[in-house]
This record gives sequence, structure tokens and C-alpha cells, in this order.
Amino acid sequence: MDTRAKAEAFWPLGGPISRTRMALVIIDMQVDFCAPGGWVDQLGEDVSNTRSVIAPIREALSAARAAGLLVIHTREGHRPDLSDLHPNKQWRTRVHGLGIGDAGRDGGRILVQGEPGWQIIPELAPEDNELVIDKPGKSSFHRTQLAAELARRGIDRLVITGVTSDCCVQSTLRDGYEHGLECVLLEDCTAAVESPNHEATLEILKAYGGRWGGVADLPRFHAMLEAADA
Amino acid sequence: MPDHVPYRLPALAAQPYAWPFDGRWSAADTALLILGFQTGPVQALSAEAELAVACRLVEAAAGLGMTIVAVRRGHTDQESPIARRRRDLGDPIPAQGSAGWALDARLALPPAAILIDIAGDNAFFGNDLEERLRARGIRNLLVTGLPTEGLVHATQRAANDMGFECLAIADACKGTSPARHAAQLRITTFGNGLFGTVASAAEVLSALHFA
Repeated sequence: MDTRAKAEAFWPLGGPISRTRMALVIIDMQVDFCAPGGWVDQLGEDVSNTRSVIAPIREALSAARAAGLLVIHTREGHRPDLSDLHPNKQWRTRVHGLGIGDAGRDGGRILVQGEPGWQIIPELAPEDNELVIDKPGKSSFHRTQLAAELARRGIDRLVITGVTSDCCVQSTLRDGYEHGLECVLLEDCTAAVESPNHEATLEILKAYGGRWGGVADLPRFHAMLEAADA
Repeated sequence: MPDHVPYRLPALAAQPYAWPFDGRWSAADTALLILGFQTGPVQALSAEAELAVACRLVEAAAGLGMTIVAVRRGHTDQESPIARRRRDLGDPIPAQGSAGWALDARLALPPAAILIDIAGDNAFFGNDLEERLRARGIRNLLVTGLPTEGLVHATQRAANDMGFECLAIADACKGTSPARHAAQLRITTFGNGLFGTVASAAEVLSALHFA
């Protein structure tokens, strides 16, 4: 496949199209989910899967910045008074011994806005001109300004990366579909805490040729950007 | 609605925890979601057994005056290019108004049932279902439907973000493959119920008949 054909195959709806219609979305690459000392790490769970995608996402981020794409970072978190935290969500996380809103080992509160664990990891820190979406739920569209921000900028194609594939990534891709947005997941830029859930998620997303959007990878993302119109 | 609406029903043995999380559920604060039990999808997925289970749940819930929501998925001439592509890829979505789009008549829905039409998978998208449920004081949802990885899971994910306490009834749902059905329910219960819980219809029916 030549470069142009690869680029056209990236978007299930076809292309190439203008880069001004695209955004790179990086979901929840926060200390609490994927850094030593964060929430998942404090729970004694393995963060190697979620950390394994930091380098590939950095590469996607560099490519998107160089191509002038809008970059969108999301952060899951709750207000310090927890007024936007549903009781069942808090209860479920407390079963693990350390729940959302609780003070962790270093004194910082889990998934609370402004706390150290809630920050995006330094390797992927947002730049000033990038959009940061704070979300209280799993979907990046739930109770956020994301859909309005995209509509205002005329963006209707999303390249999706981040963690975790079975949770917030899947919710965002499904909701993107509902909003009529063309979404493509970079499978080498997403991971789950447990590999079977990750593999099952990708199998479901790929079934029927991609019901809710496409699944591609970094090399195809690079090829698509090269062929895209300014 | 019967004169006596039981304040509390017994907690259900669900995965990964006894549902609901706070032990509070009754016919007044719970809704039964019947998603996509339309003649076309029932036939396409060979979901006769799951439909029969859904019918028993409708009967039991209606007998207690519980809110029932029936959801039909269908496409119209106004569908987005992405929705059109999905049908072109072979995902069967009936046209609104066609024979395959109709709810299966065996469901015997009560006249008070809420009827919702959607084009995608999420029963809450682009309509006022959330507000209507909240206006009735609904906080718990029992979820059934076709397919598991489509309407069922998309709707339960959205409901979960809204704070509804959800229970997927495993044998009243069917996926486009057994592996997808099982995987999607496993993801539902991951992390002590990231998206809620899963139980069998026998558990639910037993609790409803207790009332």
C-alpha cells in the first residue's frame, strides 16, 4: 500500500481530509492511573501495562503537535467537596481500601482536582494552547464541554489514545460515535490494567469492521498525517 | 399501580457485590430497561430464550407497578454517515417503521411503559430519558437487551456515569457472539463493579416475587 492509500485507509470514512478537522485525544494519563505512587500503584496493582503506552503516546503527541493538530487531554477527577462524585462510585472504590476522595500514602487525595495524583504525568504534560477536559465520569463527553468545543472548532475526527482501553477509552469512543464523530483508536497507544479485558475490548471494537469507529496504529497515524491536507 | 408498593426488596446475589450497593431498592425507585427486543434483532441473534426471560421480567415488574422502559433502535433517512457505514459493514439495524423494527409482541408491555427510539446504542443519548427517570425518583436500573456489547453495554455505561445503580441480567441479554457477551459482562464487573453488577434472572424474579 502506498502512503496515500494507507492514509486514506486510516479513517473508515475515507480521506485525506484537512488536519484542521482532526484532534488527538489523550485520555486520563494521570499519576493516579499510571505513575509510581499514584492510586493504582498504591492499591498494589500493576501499572506496567498503563506505563507501557507512555512512550508511544509521546510519539503520537509529538507528531500531532508538529502537524498542528488540536491536542485534547482529559483528566478524571472530582471537586474537592466531592459534590460531583456519585455515592456508588465512591463506595465501589473504597472496597479496595483506598477510595476516590480519600487521602493516600503521601497525603494527596485520590482523583481529586488539584491533588498530585490527579495531574497528568510529566512525560505528557499539556502545552498552553492545548485543550484540557476535566471529567467526572468515564466518558469524556459526560458532563463536559468536549462536544461543544469540537463543534465550535469544526472538528469531527478524533484520534484516540490513553487509558484504560476497557473503561474510559471505550466509553469515549462509543459516545463519539453517538455524537456522529469519526473516531479511530490507536491500539499501540492504549492499555488496560488487565490484558484479557484489553484484548476483549479490542475484539469487540474491531468486530463488524469497526461499528463505532476504526482501530489503527502509530505507523498508520504518521502516514495519515503526511498525506493529510493542511 | 397496586395500592401497596413495597418500600424495600431483598438484596440480590450479584457479581461482584450484593446489589444494590446500599441495599435500597423498591418497585418505586427501580426501572426495568428492555433494550432492542425487536423482531429483527431477536431473529438475527436467535434470541428466543433471552426474549422469554425478558417477558417474565416484564410480567413480574409490571405486576409491582415498576417503571418499564422499552427501547427501539432504528435508522431513518437522517442517519449520519458513520451510522450508514455501520449498516454497510453488516450490522443489522432495522429501518424505523419496518417489520423488523417493531418490539416483539410477546413482551406484553403495560400501557404506562416509557417508549424510547434511538439511532445508536445508548438509550440516553439525545433524549430526555434521564430526566424522566429522575422525575419518577428512579435510582436503580435493571438492564436487559440485545446485543450485550451494543445497546446493553452502551446504555449501562451512560447510566453509570449518571449515577444510576445498574444490574445487568445476564440471561436476558445476548451478544453477537458468546465471547463478546461474556467479555462485556466481565468488564462490567471489573474493579468491584466499574459499570455496575451482573446477576441471573432467577435472582431478580425471586426478589420480585418476594414482594
